[in-house]
Amino acid sequence: MSQGTRAGTQPVTQDAPAGVDPPPGPTSWPSRARSATAWLPGAARWAGALLAGLVVFSAFVAANGADPLAVLADIWTSTLTQPGQFQQIVLRAAPIALAGLAVVVPARAGLVNVGGEGQIVVGGIAAAGAAMWLTPFSSVGGVLAGMVVAAALAGAAWAGIAAALRLVVQVNEAVTTLLLNYVALYSMLFLILGPWKDPAALGQSTSVELVDSVKLPVFSGTSIHVGVVLAVVAAAAVWFALTRTSWGFRLTVVGGNAEAARRAGLPVVRLLLTALLIGGALAGLAGFLQLAGMEYKLRPTFGLTIGYVAFLASWLARHKPLPLLLTSFVLAAIAVSGNSLQIGSGLPAASVNILMGLLLVTVLGWTSARKERA
Amino acid sequence: MIIDILAGAVRGGTSIMYAGLGETVSERAGVVNLGTEGAMLVGALGGYAVTAGTGDPWIGVLGGALAGALLSLVHAVLVVSRGANQFASGLTLYFLALGVTALFGAGFVSRQINAFATVPVPVLSEIPGVGPVLFDHDPLVYVAYVAAPLVWWVLYRTRVGLLVRTAGERPQALQVHGYSVTAVRYGATVVGGALAGVAGSHLSIAYTNSWFENMVAGRGFIAVALVIFAMWNPLRIMAGAYLFGAALSLASVLQTAGVAVNQFALNLVPFVLTLAVLAVLGRRTLQAAPDELLRVFDSSRAA
Repeated sequence: MSQGTRAGTQPVTQDAPAGVDPPPGPTSWPSRARSATAWLPGAARWAGALLAGLVVFSAFVAANGADPLAVLADIWTSTLTQPGQFQQIVLRAAPIALAGLAVVVPARAGLVNVGGEGQIVVGGIAAAGAAMWLTPFSSVGGVLAGMVVAAALAGAAWAGIAAALRLVVQVNEAVTTLLLNYVALYSMLFLILGPWKDPAALGQSTSVELVDSVKLPVFSGTSIHVGVVLAVVAAAAVWFALTRTSWGFRLTVVGGNAEAARRAGLPVVRLLLTALLIGGALAGLAGFLQLAGMEYKLRPTFGLTIGYVAFLASWLARHKPLPLLLTSFVLAAIAVSGNSLQIGSGLPAASVNILMGLLLVTVLGWTSARKERA
Repeated sequence: MIIDILAGAVRGGTSIMYAGLGETVSERAGVVNLGTEGAMLVGALGGYAVTAGTGDPWIGVLGGALAGALLSLVHAVLVVSRGANQFASGLTLYFLALGVTALFGAGFVSRQINAFATVPVPVLSEIPGVGPVLFDHDPLVYVAYVAAPLVWWVLYRTRVGLLVRTAGERPQALQVHGYSVTAVRYGATVVGGALAGVAGSHLSIAYTNSWFENMVAGRGFIAVALVIFAMWNPLRIMAGAYLFGAALSLASVLQTAGVAVNQFALNLVPFVLTLAVLAVLGRRTLQAAPDELLRVFDSSRAA
């Protein structure tokens, strides 16, 4: 994605209303406000949230001296009416959806995985490493399989560090996964400016590009690579696991009330651990997709902001796997529009982060987020 | 070279200290603000832009504090009034700050400003060893020497501090006595954001004397972690901030000294150090956490 920073974010459990816990006083205006809007159908509130986001975004753009209507029209036409842009959006959406699932699964257990950024990067590093070492000995299929496994394991291990800190010394996983993002980023920079540097790279340092045979093939007549299917399959699998298996049910129980789950004899620690490990593995796969399907080599901006955007996408989708596909697509469209914004209006591409951020601000605050329990 | 590292620790740790103090205030009232990173970003740009406009870095610091306070006000609205998830809200605001500062900061990227100059303290800066480490810095570093004890004093020795701490420990008690928990938490969050804004200003108008996209580079998140193992105590924040300042300054000092070490390996040091300290001290420090915070931090504490 464009620029900005990396960090991932994840939802936590009980969020809550830290502020509103005191005995329900007569002044708890959140409930008043909620009842005031309760009659609005969900779709109308979402439209309102989107509109509010657009209005504030326009105000920012205007304050910066650009014509907001022209900018919005520019975003619209360049993103949705240009041929090929639809495929670009799909390509962007795939890793966002996978990394979003990495938020969804732990969120079900009440954990906040903000480490998507870092898990994507270590997934990409592991996939690149696997490709480098396996290519001399193995068939194309073997190399690809090795890359997938390495990326998933690396992502899981990265999340596992946070899981261990959470379960052994009770350090909150949101804080540790954020810090791990920076560790992953600087480790990658160390590699691509040091041992893995492509001697032939001009300008920006990168790792050596994947050989053509292990780049993911594209569907004929399009630029969409087959890895996109992986994201859709993963979303369906997560949906099935969360809603149709006893594991998913137990996870939801732990997320709802861990103490009750523990007394009911559920293996709470193991459930929390597997939730984070699976999440990390999914984000690692997103790193594989980004490497083998999009970028083909590690560069300093590899996977940048995908983890954060995925966190937003998961919250927009209320941590539901199938709606996540839709929100990933929407955020990917906004991200793609950022590039055309830079070309068309001369505004920094990261400006669209404002739009994404505002969208989630309004959704967090004004679309009955209170009822949500991860 | 040891003196260089120590002096760098004090300079580099200052912004983390301001941010950590701000986060302490807000967490003492029961509000975790991961948006500290974002508040530092808008503070860095706000401070830079106001300094560029007025020519006076002191007014710039005020601008930075105001920017940080405004961003944190949004956090307070979402979290305190609307009951949104504290982590999700904080990270959303960080993302928002990334976009806002990219948009408004584009024009300031290579602009020159009248930044804070180093002001050696007369006499004291002449003392061998101690002088260059402690008394040969920009004014915000000196203000920070006073800020940490001051925040401690306010939190533990004044009525306002008592209200803030009660909001984080027993909000019911505040209500019983006729105080508004909402108002106290708004105040603490906004003041915390203002301090994070000052932290960002220190980065842009005293430390690097420049503005570039995403210049805070994780210092705000380090500050949030620092608060945990400083056990929500402003004086420990001071000590911890200088420790991380040392880790941050290691890279530039070694490079200046001509030691060939990969810069990115050194950039890892503060983050790895933070994680290591959390791993060692984590469980013990949680006992010092405000009660309300524990509910936010760890809904599944039963595990």
